[in-house]
This record gives sequence, structure tokens and C-alpha cells, in this order.
Amino acid sequence: MDRPAAVTQDWDAVRVTLLRYLRAKGAAPDLADDVAQETLARLIALSQTQQIGSLFALAFRIADNLIVDAKRRETRLFGDVDEEWESDDPSLDRVLDSRRALDVLSLCLRRMPPLRREVLIRRRLNHESCRAIGDDLAMSAKAVEKHITRGLLDLRQALERAGVDVSGEGR
Amino acid sequence: MNARPQEFDAIDREAAQWVDRMNRPLHDAEVAAEFDRWIMQDPRHVESYARFQALWQSGGLQNALDAAAAGELDSADAEDTDVPNWAAQAWRQFAGFAAVALCFVVLVSFGARALVTEADYAATRGATRDVLLPDGSKVRMSGGARMSVRLTPWSREVALQSGEVFFDVAHEKLRTFSVHTGTSSVTVLGTAFDIDMVDRETRVVRVYRGLVSVDAGAGRQWRLPAGNGIEVGGGGVRSLGDVRGDHPGWIDGWFDADDTSVQRLVQRMNRGSDLPVVLDDPALGTLPVTGRFQISQPEMVLEALAAIHDLHWRREKARYVLSR
Repeated sequence: MDRPAAVTQDWDAVRVTLLRYLRAKGAAPDLADDVAQETLARLIALSQTQQIGSLFALAFRIADNLIVDAKRRETRLFGDVDEEWESDDPSLDRVLDSRRALDVLSLCLRRMPPLRREVLIRRRLNHESCRAIGDDLAMSAKAVEKHITRGLLDLRQALERAGVDVSGEGR
Repeated sequence: MNARPQEFDAIDREAAQWVDRMNRPLHDAEVAAEFDRWIMQDPRHVESYARFQALWQSGGLQNALDAAAAGELDSADAEDTDVPNWAAQAWRQFAGFAAVALCFVVLVSFGARALVTEADYAATRGATRDVLLPDGSKVRMSGGARMSVRLTPWSREVALQSGEVFFDVAHEKLRTFSVHTGTSSVTVLGTAFDIDMVDRETRVVRVYRGLVSVDAGAGRQWRLPAGNGIEVGGGGVRSLGDVRGDHPGWIDGWFDADDTSVQRLVQRMNRGSDLPVVLDDPALGTLPVTGRFQISQPEMVLEALAAIHDLHWRREKARYVLSR
């Protein structure tokens, strides 16, 4: 079924990959280091007691949750993050949550084939499975998957064309 | 960005695909291994994946989709002045499509409400209860079990609040059947399985037919074929092999203990018994027992426990007491 817990991992390679993930998501270097370290510790502990399906899927999920926790603490300490502070260190999350990004994404959604938009809404907002969406919209789960992949590529390209920096570089 | 080499585009396409796949509740072992391989293959993979994942999870996308879903499309023309002329015609044509799509969405959601059925069920202490759900699934609830059931045209959801319940799920090709227990959930298409909410954290799942997926949150997922079981809780997981027969023993009044605590055995017995069994000393609850017990006959079980651990039991007015 799953990977046996006893398999020895190259934890250093996992740490390097985690750091790359966090940095590409726009986490500041200090935060990325801390989160990668903490994630690795939890991962090692889990791997000793449990079977893990995808090591990286679990690692990324733990890291995402730690980042959310860190943000929550930050907001509690400083109140709502103000514009000025935001422009100081524009992490990818903040770039993507900006008014400008919202406008670009909305426009891209409006221009996209209605079916594709419908699929994205159902998958991301309503968390419906590909299978359920395919059933309702009379297409195969594979076709649903293709719409989502293509939709994501469209949205990303729209952001790039509009000059919203999603490259994650230089941070 | 247009000048990017082809290879980058291929990576982006794969990354977008992985984001969708890994955001699903179930991955089988093969897909999981493939994902790990893909991530390690090239450092650009994880970077591209991270950026698509950030986009997918972003509040910006959530808000844009919210707006699209709320049908703010129609009022969009005014803000749309930066759309080049060549697109205007296509846009008009598309607005027609959008209106049709919108009607469809409205129809689906109105129609759907009428098709949703919701109900709460509870079994009284000391008695089991059989429930036949509208989809044809058969449910047997042990004494004291409580659950709510919600059936929609696209999903079958059960929220189990307490106790132990055996589900014999009517197979449907597309509509999954999920049981949520707060800390973990089980999803199937059509199988027979038993869930026991042992305490606040611990859940025991046993599979008698088909294949079930157990999700304990934080990416911890297991797929269990018939004949297997799992105990999740308290930060640990224990796999229970040797699940035999086509339904759990408690239905016939039996309990299979496998290095189980006396506490657990007593808890099971009390679900179906009119006279509760109490422990004279709580420490007795930690003693381990193994074997097959007929819990529908508390006195026989107490006799057996007394023999195994050199204990005594007595019957009082409204209870049994087990002591040293």
C-alpha cells in the first residue's frame, strides 16, 4: 500500500527541496528556514510511527499550514498588515491577494470558455471531485482534469502578461 | 515571457496538473510515488509546483471565482474598456453563452435543493437500530450511536457523532459515500465497513467488502481493502489485519479482542447491555485481553475476565461490578 516507515530517507535532499518550495512561494529567507526545519522534524517523527503516501505532498501540506500559522501570529502582533508593510516584502501570497491580481484573474475568468470557468468554480470553491463534476457536466473526469490544468495555465499567463510578478525570483 | 524555452512550458503544464491531483482527497500509492519522483527529478519542478499551488490556494483566485460564481459577469462590460477591439465581438458572443451557463447554474442549484434529504438518527442505549437510507444503503447502529445523514444528487454524507455503526453501502458508480467522525473520514463508492468512535480521538475502521479510503487529516490517508482494519488516534496508527466475515461481530453479539483493554471491552458490552458493568478500580481498565467474547452475555464475559486476570465480579441491583 504505502511506503514502509523504515525506509531511510535522504532528509537533507528533502530539506533542500522544501526550502526551494517555500522560497518559490515567496516566503522570506528566515521564515523559510524555520518552517523547513520544523516541517522536517515533524516529518521524521511521523515517518517513524506512520505510513506516508507521498512524502512531498505531506511535507508541502505541513509547510503550508505552518506558513498560515506564522501569518496568523504576525497579524495578531501587528494588526492588519498595512499597504506600506506589504510593499516592503511582497511575498507571492500578498501579490496574489492584491486588488490588481484580483482584477486580472477576474478578467481572465470572464474570457475563458464558460465550461472551464464552471469547472474551476466547482473544483476550487465547492471542492467537488473531478468525478462528480464530470457527472454533472456530462464529460469524463479526464476532461475535467484538462480544464483545470488549462485554466490554471491561463490564469498564470494572464498574471504574467499583466506584469503581476509571480516568478518568485529575487525574494 | 513568450520567449521562454518550450521545456519550461512543459514543466508548467505538468506542475498545474500535479496541483490539481495533489489537492484531491485520495491518492493511491502509485500516484504518490510518481509525484515524489517528479519533484526530485529537477529543481525547477518544485518551483513551478510551488507557484501554481500558491495561485490555486490564493485569496485572489478565491475572490475572483466567488465573483464569477455570483454572476457579476453581466455588470462587467463597464470595467472592460481595456479589452482590445478584436475581442469585443467574441466577448458579446460569449456573454450570450455566459447567460445560458448562468441559467444552467441557477437551475441546477434550485433543482438540487429539492433533491437534498437530511435526517438525524439515534439508537437508544442497550438496543441496536437498523436504518435503510433512501439510496438503498443499510445501516446498523449499535446502542447509543448517533448520526446525521445528508443525501444530495452528487454526494452521500454521514456525520457520525458517537458510537459504532456498520454501513453496507449501496454501490453507485459516481456518487461517493463519506462518513465523517470529526477527526477523520472514510470515503467509498459501495462497500461494507464498520466505524467505531472509541473516544474523542480514537477511530477504528474495519472493512468487510470492497475498498475504503480513510483520511485522518494532515495528508494522512490510507486505502483499506476488505479484510483489513485500522485504528487511528492519539497520534498513532495501528493496522488491524484479520477482519473476517461479512459483518462485524458485535452485530451477532460478539467482540473480538486483540490485545484490547478491559476498558474497551466493557465499553462495548455496555452499549448493548441493560445493566452496565462498572470497574471497582479504574486501573482494571488497562488490563489487556485477547479472544472472542460474547458481549450479548455480560455474565459470561465477566466470568471469563475473572478467570483470565484472577478477578471477581458481582451483580448488584442496577449494575455489575468487577473487582480484584
